[in-house]
Amino acid sequence: MSQRILFNLLQVLVVLAFAPLVTGVTNRLKEIVQSKRGPSVLQPYRDLWKLFHKDEVISEESSWIFRAAPYVVFIAPLFVTLLIPVLTAYPLFFAFMADMVGGGFVLALGGFFAGLAAVDAANPYGAMGASRTRMVGFLAEPVFIIVFFTVAFTADSTIPYIVQKHWVSSPAAFLEPSHILLMAAFFMLILAEKGRIPVDNPSGHFELAMIEESKALEYSGCGAALMKWGGQMKLFVLLCIFLNVLVTPWGLAGAQEIGQVVLAIPLVLCKILMFVFVLVIIESSLAKLRLFRISEFLGSAFITSVAAMLMRLFSL
Amino acid sequence: MIVFVILAVPLVAAALACLPFRRLAGGVTFVGCLAVLALTIRLALEITAGRPVLAIPKWVAVDGLSALVLLLIAFVGSTAALFSLGYMARESHEPKRLRLYYASYNLFIFSMLAIPVLAEPTLVWIVVELTTLCSALLVSFENTREALEAAWKYVVLSLMGAAVALLGFLVLFAAMRAAGGDAYTWDGLIAAAPRMPPILLQTAFVLILVGLGTKVGLVPLHTWLPDAHSQAPSPVCALLSGVETTAVLYVILRLFPVLKAAPASHAELWAIVFGLISVGTAAFLLLQVRDYKRMFAYSTVEHMGIILLAAGLGNSAAHQAALYQALTHTLAKSFCFFAAGAALLAAGTREIGSVRGLIRTSPAAGISLLFGGLAIAGAPPFAVFLSEFSIFRAGLAGGHYVATGLLVLFIIIGFFGIMWHVNRMVFGQADGNAQVCLPASCLTALVFAAAPVILFGVYMPAPVHELLRLGAAALGR
Amino acid sequence: MSDPSTTFAVLGSLNMLAGGLFLLCAFGIVATRQVKGCLGLFIIQSLLLAASALFLGLQHGSWHLCGVALVNLIAKPVLIPWLLRRTVHEEVYSRREIDQVLNIPTSLLIALALVILAYFLAIPVQQALEPQFQSGNVAIGLAGLFLGAYTLAVRREALPLLLGLLAMENGAFFVGIAISRELPLLVELAIATDSLIVAFILGVLTRAAHQHIGSTAVGALAALKEEVQR
Repeated sequence: MSQRILFNLLQVLVVLAFAPLVTGVTNRLKEIVQSKRGPSVLQPYRDLWKLFHKDEVISEESSWIFRAAPYVVFIAPLFVTLLIPVLTAYPLFFAFMADMVGGGFVLALGGFFAGLAAVDAANPYGAMGASRTRMVGFLAEPVFIIVFFTVAFTADSTIPYIVQKHWVSSPAAFLEPSHILLMAAFFMLILAEKGRIPVDNPSGHFELAMIEESKALEYSGCGAALMKWGGQMKLFVLLCIFLNVLVTPWGLAGAQEIGQVVLAIPLVLCKILMFVFVLVIIESSLAKLRLFRISEFLGSAFITSVAAMLMRLFSL
Repeated sequence: MIVFVILAVPLVAAALACLPFRRLAGGVTFVGCLAVLALTIRLALEITAGRPVLAIPKWVAVDGLSALVLLLIAFVGSTAALFSLGYMARESHEPKRLRLYYASYNLFIFSMLAIPVLAEPTLVWIVVELTTLCSALLVSFENTREALEAAWKYVVLSLMGAAVALLGFLVLFAAMRAAGGDAYTWDGLIAAAPRMPPILLQTAFVLILVGLGTKVGLVPLHTWLPDAHSQAPSPVCALLSGVETTAVLYVILRLFPVLKAAPASHAELWAIVFGLISVGTAAFLLLQVRDYKRMFAYSTVEHMGIILLAAGLGNSAAHQAALYQALTHTLAKSFCFFAAGAALLAAGTREIGSVRGLIRTSPAAGISLLFGGLAIAGAPPFAVFLSEFSIFRAGLAGGHYVATGLLVLFIIIGFFGIMWHVNRMVFGQADGNAQVCLPASCLTALVFAAAPVILFGVYMPAPVHELLRLGAAALGR
Repeated sequence: MSDPSTTFAVLGSLNMLAGGLFLLCAFGIVATRQVKGCLGLFIIQSLLLAASALFLGLQHGSWHLCGVALVNLIAKPVLIPWLLRRTVHEEVYSRREIDQVLNIPTSLLIALALVILAYFLAIPVQQALEPQFQSGNVAIGLAGLFLGAYTLAVRREALPLLLGLLAMENGAFFVGIAISRELPLLVELAIATDSLIVAFILGVLTRAAHQHIGSTAVGALAALKEEVQR
């Protein structure tokens, strides 16, 4: 049992350590695709280090929410890490603390606090970004719910570890149309939730056009570092859910020994690297959608997920 | 053998019509259609003498019903070709467009001739789609905004119906396989019908009725009909209205014996209901129409409803009456559209309100319009009156009092509608336009088209009667 | 992994996968704004039709179906776009439809309702067939048919209307490859040729509309009514 707690903590450490690396690799690859050299892949670490050593400036008009939000945003993905399969294929110590829906709520809690903090600071761009994020959020909610429902219906459970077993075992179940459509719908969800193109431009500097980024505009020093790190970890967590449960449920540690678990770390990183490749290709070839077209994008995701659900319900 | 010659002649004529000689296209078309008519008459005589023609056993076969439809296509094809000679020359198109017109005309005739001849239902479906495609360019011939809109509506709605009908035919094939049948022909379907799963048969019938009903012009899928018929050149309208709708209705009628052999299917009820809805809607729409070609188009919808209803009445007298109605409607409707074409040449506009005193402006056009209106509305002594009367008799004999009563009511409403419009156009004070002389070929075509309409009202030759009887027998098995 | 029942199951799953993606393409044809995107989705849909025919053929050991797959592979994804490029002017392909009759999310929701309707209608038909013919193609094909008809109702540009028609035929054919497998190859060839002729004639009509009216938004033409003054 102590081994399982150990592995759980190991998962948390892996997420903490490698989340900025994913962002660094993404940025570097995007620049390379555009024929530039790009920053080093370790640049996000240096940014975090720099931010932790700077002074913090907090507005007098803000309340406790502004001070508490970075911690909530930082801790929420860590909580979810305890619940999902990152390195192992069998449930760990905290795995039954909450299921997929609970994990989704915890992640949403982080986003909720970030939005409140953006409004709290009375920065107009922050409020604009917060309201736009809410719009994208409520359009994405039906998709989330349908995806969770279909996954739970298919695998007869809502615990991610048990769901993952369903698709690891048989190729016929993997190739089912509902599964493929679920992957497509979830992919579109990740693009929307994390503010990637075509929903939002993550490397844009123009505040009027920002959706996600403007929520963290007011922060400096330690708060900014925590918000940034928390955002990067949220992406890492979403990717773990996506890749380890839906897309490539193989490659996770099967037995309870430390060697296999440590071996799973580079495998997970490889899977994430492949995803980053696909993401960079999509980001480089599409343009950002206009704001009112986002509803069509998420509408298509909704249709895809409902089609998956229908296929599963009618047992085709 | 003769069947292949009948099919080959229009193809050859289409090829020859593309050659760049001045008068060749129209002449070749007319001669080709006359040849087809002669061959078809000979074929029909052979069949009435009791020798059904089997060209390729599972693919090409002609029996009484097919011969009747072939005869109608050939006859209207020839008269319309004759009418086109004068009409298109008067409309002054450039020679290249005229060649395109005649080539499409021949291809259209070819595709319609192939419908009754093929015995495999999927091939029949393909040829029905071909008729839509070959006539698309004919409908949009004038290249005005309205003509293109009408052509698009026509093609889109017809092809949509064709896709639905394709599904119906595929389900029918599956049903036949489930019944253990072997040959996917009309006869093979009748043989395998008692063992087919009823749900498949019903699904197939509904799909085919809805799909091909779009092409026939059954309400509520008829919306392309008035538009296409008001915008196409008049000889093309005669073909579309008179023959194409009848040929596609023939395909639907071929399904009736199959459904009769299978128990507990309500094909006849569907036919009666759909037929009544079409007749009623068309009759009421006729009252408020403003364009006389659209008026004749609505009359086509009405008559298609009447034929479908008669086929649904069930007894063999009703079947014979239905085929008689198809015959008389084709002849009368083509004559009506020739008259409308003549009126258009004389008056220059399609609006009923703008045409007055046609009988003074152009006596030929006025008289033919009057006769056409009377004929199609069902006045004695024209043929349509006799056929409608036989339908009434058959309906009353079969006990369908409600249906027959409603039918009588709707036909009377339609009669008044048509006659009111025609009277307004033909009589009254002329607008002072100069006298217009119609081309000679148009006048000849009008006379040739009028002859059977009057003839069949008073006397029916024995071979025609025999053909109708054979056709009804094919329907009633 | 190599025993026949697993192969049967895997081919069945692959066939269903092709069906699911077929349905997605049908949704895409309803909603895609760009004409080129619509054409691309139609090509993918035809490829999926051929793939489904291939999987069903391998599953049931029918060379006939593999022949059908080949015919469809050549006719629809390859020849039809080529024909359209030849007949329709180049400029039409760069168009986008700004507006449909309804806005796109509502359109997609109605399309979804149509798909559910199609599933319900297909269940009794599927149950009436023998077990070897039951593969879920009936429901998806019928849904494809309905979605194609819906495309014709909401779209205004000429080329998406044409693609909606061809998508309807794809849907009907998708049902056919599952339930009417032994249709003679001659008939299948004729149906494929027929699709080509449809594309050609409608392409010519689109060109005529482009030349004489100046726009190809033929669905928006509504001049012919009873009140028209000529």
